[in-house]
Amino acid sequence: MGRSIKKGPFLDQHLQEKILKAKETKSKAPIKTWSRRSMITPDFVGLTFNVHNGKLFNPVFVTENMVGHRLGEFSLTRTFKKHGAHTAKAEAK
Amino acid sequence: MARILGVDIPGEKRIDIALRYIYGLGPSNSKVILARAQIDPSIRAKNLSEQQLSQIVHAIQEGKYVIEGDLRREIGMNLKRLQTIKCYRGVRHLRGLPVRGQRTQTNARTRKGPRKTVGVVRNPNAKTGIH
Repeated sequence: MGRSIKKGPFLDQHLQEKILKAKETKSKAPIKTWSRRSMITPDFVGLTFNVHNGKLFNPVFVTENMVGHRLGEFSLTRTFKKHGAHTAKAEAK
Repeated sequence: MARILGVDIPGEKRIDIALRYIYGLGPSNSKVILARAQIDPSIRAKNLSEQQLSQIVHAIQEGKYVIEGDLRREIGMNLKRLQTIKCYRGVRHLRGLPVRGQRTQTNARTRKGPRKTVGVVRNPNAKTGIH
């Protein structure tokens, strides 16, 4: 079931504060966050986030068509493993 | 053979079944369309008169159904959007794996296709031991 529209998009309070601060100071520095569950709202656009994936912080640059998704969707938590030859090409992936 | 909306050629079937050969129209849509065009669903498609055909075409166009090429394009665009923004769903589509959290240790053959056995391939950089 989807979330009630009445409530509006979910956003962690601590992340919201960081965004407001970044907007105010017009800083483009990446915002470090653990809040994978926060929904991307239009005022995120143009900012870079370092989103935790349980181990590392993956840089996510937010563009317009990411709005409505959650930050966690862009910071994968699993490494994709494949069988086969250990060629340089396969290792790079 | 009858032609409805250009390329679609439903065969010697009841018109309510034949309409389902149009990409984007299923059982319930076909029922609604025929009711709107006031045509008996049990008539064979080949026995429809020109006038009845145009009634059906009219009913489809009036109903604002997204069908055929437009629908295919729309679906393609949705996939492309997910893939270009590199979100989890897009990545799963790119890799041809299930998108909605299903298990992949076993099953998932619909997405992954036929089983491909990959034999042992020695790592050329590995140190060779004493055998």
